[in-house]
Amino acid sequence: MISASLYITVCSAKNRMRKRLARLREPRYLLGAVVGGLYFYLSFFARGRSRQAAARRGRPPAAAAATAAIAASGPAVVGAALLVLATVAWVLPFDSGLLEFSDAETDLLFPAPVTRRQLLLHRLLRSQVGILFGSAIVALAWPAAGWARLRMSVAMWLLFVAMRVYFTAVGLARNRAQASLAARAAAAVPFAACLAATLAVGIAIARTFAASPLGGIADLADRILAVATHGIPAIALWPTTTLARPFFAGSPAQFGAAMAAALAVCGALVAWMLASDEAFQDAASRLAARRAQKAGGARAAAVRARATGLSLALTGPTELALFWKNGVQTLRLTGITAIRIGVAAIAVCVAVSSMVMNTMHLRGGAAVACAVAMAVAAFTAVLGPQVVRTDLRTDLLHLELLKTWPVRPATVVRGEMAWPAAMLTIVGWIAVGCAAAFSPAAFPRTPALTRAAMATAAALLMPGLVFAQYLVQNAAALAFPAWVPLGNQRPRGVDAMGQRIIMLGGALLSVVVLFIPGALVGAAIWFGFQAWLGALVAIPASLLCTVVVLLEVLAATEMLGPLYERLDLLAVERTE
Amino acid sequence: MALEVENLRRTYDGFVAVDDLSFSVAAGEIVGLIGPNGAGKTTTLRSLAGILRPTAGRIRIDRHDIVADPIEAKRRLAFMPDEPHLFEYLTVEEHLRLVARLYTVADFESRWRALVQELELTGKERALPGELSRGMRQKVVIACGLVRDATTLLFDEPLTGLDPIGIRRMRETIVARARGGAAILLSSHLLHLVEEVCTRVIIMASGRKVADGTFAELASRADLHAAGSNLEQIFMRVTGHD
Repeated sequence: MISASLYITVCSAKNRMRKRLARLREPRYLLGAVVGGLYFYLSFFARGRSRQAAARRGRPPAAAAATAAIAASGPAVVGAALLVLATVAWVLPFDSGLLEFSDAETDLLFPAPVTRRQLLLHRLLRSQVGILFGSAIVALAWPAAGWARLRMSVAMWLLFVAMRVYFTAVGLARNRAQASLAARAAAAVPFAACLAATLAVGIAIARTFAASPLGGIADLADRILAVATHGIPAIALWPTTTLARPFFAGSPAQFGAAMAAALAVCGALVAWMLASDEAFQDAASRLAARRAQKAGGARAAAVRARATGLSLALTGPTELALFWKNGVQTLRLTGITAIRIGVAAIAVCVAVSSMVMNTMHLRGGAAVACAVAMAVAAFTAVLGPQVVRTDLRTDLLHLELLKTWPVRPATVVRGEMAWPAAMLTIVGWIAVGCAAAFSPAAFPRTPALTRAAMATAAALLMPGLVFAQYLVQNAAALAFPAWVPLGNQRPRGVDAMGQRIIMLGGALLSVVVLFIPGALVGAAIWFGFQAWLGALVAIPASLLCTVVVLLEVLAATEMLGPLYERLDLLAVERTE
Repeated sequence: MALEVENLRRTYDGFVAVDDLSFSVAAGEIVGLIGPNGAGKTTTLRSLAGILRPTAGRIRIDRHDIVADPIEAKRRLAFMPDEPHLFEYLTVEEHLRLVARLYTVADFESRWRALVQELELTGKERALPGELSRGMRQKVVIACGLVRDATTLLFDEPLTGLDPIGIRRMRETIVARARGGAAILLSSHLLHLVEEVCTRVIIMASGRKVADGTFAELASRADLHAAGSNLEQIFMRVTGHD
């Protein structure tokens, strides 16, 4: 079976790589690969180089001492964190993905004459490609070079494998709930051991901190090290600190010894997982059913057909029909009750806390709340349309159906973007409203009229910004359908990542260009009337700016009509 | 003629999927479109439905050109594809309501309930597509096509996924629509279905029309006379598989 697993893994990896290399013949993928590669270089290698240069310039003695202390206590700190994670996994199980067999694996390997343990080993082997890639990325991101980077990569690989095996074993043990009392008791032993170990370590750490006040980071590191090397906590932490030790090994010899011990721990985990194989069949079937539901586009099956409060009249503008359709989708996913409760909770919290802060002049807290609200508003306006994709970027998956409708193309474009744009505008308005509520305490010296004018101007600009972004995103989907991931698709590979970077840059640049006429009109109003209106001039300036932008959006949707008509099903890419 | 196709040609990156195809379907006629895999049937139907733009040629639905006057042409057309494409988050009733709004169906309220009953979707009105079987989803797609008064109906493998009762009902539905005056083009690999409900048959192979006529006309053709009298024998001979 191992040779068959290796064969499947190697062939799949080889064919995937061949396919990705072959698609580089297309200019868009080649360009994406260049940009993606450049991004990797600038993010990892160039940054690592600048850090090395900084390291060569030397560190102050105090900082060096603290670093040494942290390095010495590193295995203990990481080990303690891993122990907590291991215990939490029993209460909130993590999905390791190891039992998620593909359709082909289910249909071909389950009926094959192989044991359950062999199937588990097969999945472990198949997961190695992803784990190796993940550890390589972490190592690349690590601000070091040469030996340190290699050490990080290998240590990370082992930790990822151990975690995946452990989470799978926990899942299998939890799956024994239907088994006999003895089996259930046996499955509960590891959980009891984890809990006891966590309690022992937690009590020891609490005691050492209660003894005397903390004297800095080096002192903190020393105390954790002391806990981890004495008595019962040392025994409790041994498996997890052993897994963490390779990260902190100094010389290759130390690393070799640490890796040997860590491999032994990992081997023990694999043996434990394989011993729990009776529960494997049930767990695998359940995961396969869940995955099949997702893959079949039947995510809606998990969503109830609950009432949304939106109804569709049989006559009226066609844009509203598409607005309704996308609205139903959003409300069915999130739930109208949850939205109502959420909005009411935000309103009450903001009203009460802003009142308290304004009355008690709590400037620091109000400034933080105001800044957070403004950040949410800015994120909503600038990045929200990249994230909320309930428009043509989702519905191009239904292009075959859309194309049969007797509807003008411009109407389809406007109708598709209307709902998400309106929704994000309202979210942006709520964020601006929150910022305005906290502003009296956050900016006590700014006149109330100025604050009100700025908040109103921001609220007026919001629809312009959001609709302009949606126009650009939907235009990109129609003009370059192969560049835009549809629905929940996430094309993989450096080239696909590069494509996304290019699209993001292009979209933001296009929005800036779209805003130029509106900004010029707004600026003219600002400079022309500021002397008479003061801060209030921001209101007409932003209003006119938004009106100009919205008119541009309206005109542009008409111009997108021919693009929609020419859009061919074959141009819409399906991910690998 | 309700449906007229003149010299239709459709290529994909140089590959000719449909070449020089011409035919017409009159009101009340049920025409079967058959051919081996890769013959160009689905490409033809998708071109007729306005999903694919013809590379060359003309398609007219009730004298409205699908390229020059797409909205009026599509208003008179109903396409029922073999793969049911539905919106994940709309219920059966909401799908029908959306279609009624897009196609301006005046008497929707009375019409949709009768249709749900006819297609045995009663009790599933508030179900999402993810909660339905493949056959049920196929029925929803067909209901969306029938909820309005289309003059031309295009069926691509309409019986896929249906149970025996559903198949029988579907046959009755197709025949009833034709009697009501609709022009019907039906693509299927089920030759017995074509033989049973169609008044005429078009056989395609390698993107071209290789035969067109009633069963009697085809059987009496000089080159097919020896093939036999049933559709399967004629099909095998015409497509070179005898």
